[in-house]
Amino acid sequence: MTSLARALSGSRQGWLGLIILVSLLFGALMAPWLSPYAPSERVARPFQPPSRHHLLGTNDIGQDILSEIIWGSRASLGTGVVTALAATTVGTAVGIAAGYYGGWVDGLFMRIVDLFLVIPFLPLMILLAAYAGPSFHHLMLVMVFLMWARPARIIRSQVLTLKSWTYVESARAAGARAGYIMRYHILPGVLSLVVAQLVMTASLAILIEASLSFLGLGDPVQKSWGSILFYAHSRSAFLTGAWVWWILPPGLLITLTVMGFALTGFALDTVLNPRLRATGITYPTRKKEEKPLTPAP
Amino acid sequence: MRSGWGRQVGQYVLLLVFTLLINFALPRAMPGSPLAYLAGEDVGLLTPEQRTEILSRHGLHEPLWKQFALFVHNLTRGDLGHSYRQGRPVAEIIAERLPWTLLLATTALIIQTMLGVWLGARAAWSRGTRLDVWLMSTFMLFRSMPSFWIAMILLAVFGAQLGWFPMFGAFRPWAGHTGPAHILDILRHLFLPALSLILLGAAETFMTMRYAMLSVLGENYITVARAKGLAERDVLYRHAGRNALLPVATVFMLSLGFSVSGATVIETVFAYPGLGRLMYEAVLSRDYPVLQASFLTITLAVIVANLLADTLYAFLDPRVRI
Repeated sequence: MTSLARALSGSRQGWLGLIILVSLLFGALMAPWLSPYAPSERVARPFQPPSRHHLLGTNDIGQDILSEIIWGSRASLGTGVVTALAATTVGTAVGIAAGYYGGWVDGLFMRIVDLFLVIPFLPLMILLAAYAGPSFHHLMLVMVFLMWARPARIIRSQVLTLKSWTYVESARAAGARAGYIMRYHILPGVLSLVVAQLVMTASLAILIEASLSFLGLGDPVQKSWGSILFYAHSRSAFLTGAWVWWILPPGLLITLTVMGFALTGFALDTVLNPRLRATGITYPTRKKEEKPLTPAP
Repeated sequence: MRSGWGRQVGQYVLLLVFTLLINFALPRAMPGSPLAYLAGEDVGLLTPEQRTEILSRHGLHEPLWKQFALFVHNLTRGDLGHSYRQGRPVAEIIAERLPWTLLLATTALIIQTMLGVWLGARAAWSRGTRLDVWLMSTFMLFRSMPSFWIAMILLAVFGAQLGWFPMFGAFRPWAGHTGPAHILDILRHLFLPALSLILLGAAETFMTMRYAMLSVLGENYITVARAKGLAERDVLYRHAGRNALLPVATVFMLSLGFSVSGATVIETVFAYPGLGRLMYEAVLSRDYPVLQASFLTITLAVIVANLLADTLYAFLDPRVRI
């Protein structure tokens, strides 16, 4: 993991991504102190343009939009990160098991993975979320259910190469149990890939949460950036000048968050994936002599 | 190849079965009476006759396996259920909406592929230049944006502020246009939704084409072509481009399904009367039969598109046919 941190620090994109993420996280944590009003309080007349008291104006029921957005970052970031953590954990477990055991276990798991990769993603999510009812827990469950497949497939292929390495074979020859080998020999070897997948999944999860909330499937009590846009759209904010302060800011923040995750992810991927380095699709790194990460024996 | 094709078909059959099982299980697994989900949560408003009609239509008093048999039997007859919200068969509603989604998705898909291929080839050719970096970062930016948000901004700027394009719908029903005027009207309504899809979709093709071109450009036959004194244009498009197209074909195939589901959110923004907008309306009014049928139809569209693409791919790449 220390080598992972070192790898990131050598990349300008990685730094930029990290800075974006840390400042957004800071904003989310400091929401009670940063936001001028309580997000659910009706503090002024509805549909006010920006003013000294309400920097981004007020929404359709007179809530302060700036406060809504600052508090919304908790819902958006939280859903994205928790979903990504859960989906990557499931994906890692499946990937390691399938790759290590091979045979029918691998065949079965990969069939299921393929199924989840071809399925029309968003329509199924809408269907499931509609049945489950609007709440963040349901939304996250549905997202995890549909997002574990991609990390599983990628991690499995890495496990396949790791499995034939001599240190794994010698551990097996020494009589180590499968569980032990997977825990102490395979997992450390894929850990950096897992982190990269985690970051990528988080950026995707934030976009999907936004889409689902925009379709009215978000939590009506705790608004995320997506649900702010849902209300802005259903009150036709795009017809008037209101789109500048009601639609533009939440979308920009979603874009910024996704960029933050993507930049970090690309930086990790460039360092971790030797094939990308060889073919010239490198994102410029400061230190040229940086070596690709090799699994620590 | 034959075994590969068989594998693919097996995959699609599995997907279909999975979809059917989900559609069958969801209303029955939810807490409360399945009646609410099959009728669209208006159980209280149903007349006793409608209630018995639903019960017998779905065989709700029968054992589960008989219910499933009935469910599949109804589907094969083209009976997708009844929308009690709209008071008519779901199949009829779907049939109205499907063509619009297909029009939007295919238009966007074709244009985004051409755009992505062209720009990807250009970027790879002049890699490392300002043009390349600029294109790369622009597409990266587009990929980080929520699709519906791009759509909302386009709508606000080009629809509301500038008034260049219509704000909603697929055509103007009361204008009474016919012939060429009607087609022009449809195209004008199609422009902004398609543009939103293209801005997003082209990124994937662009990245793939650029990557493929970069690896092809290092090949010996490119050096030979250049050494022969061929014009750069010819080397780029005839020699390098052709061989770089194969990975793009794969992306194209993957996008076939994605476009249909990607259109879901875009249609919602523009109130475009496709399947996606239908799903949105069904979510808001909790019209479960319509939701289920839309999902099933989209899955079927994806399967058909993928089968077509698999067959086409075998023609494109002779190596697959061996």
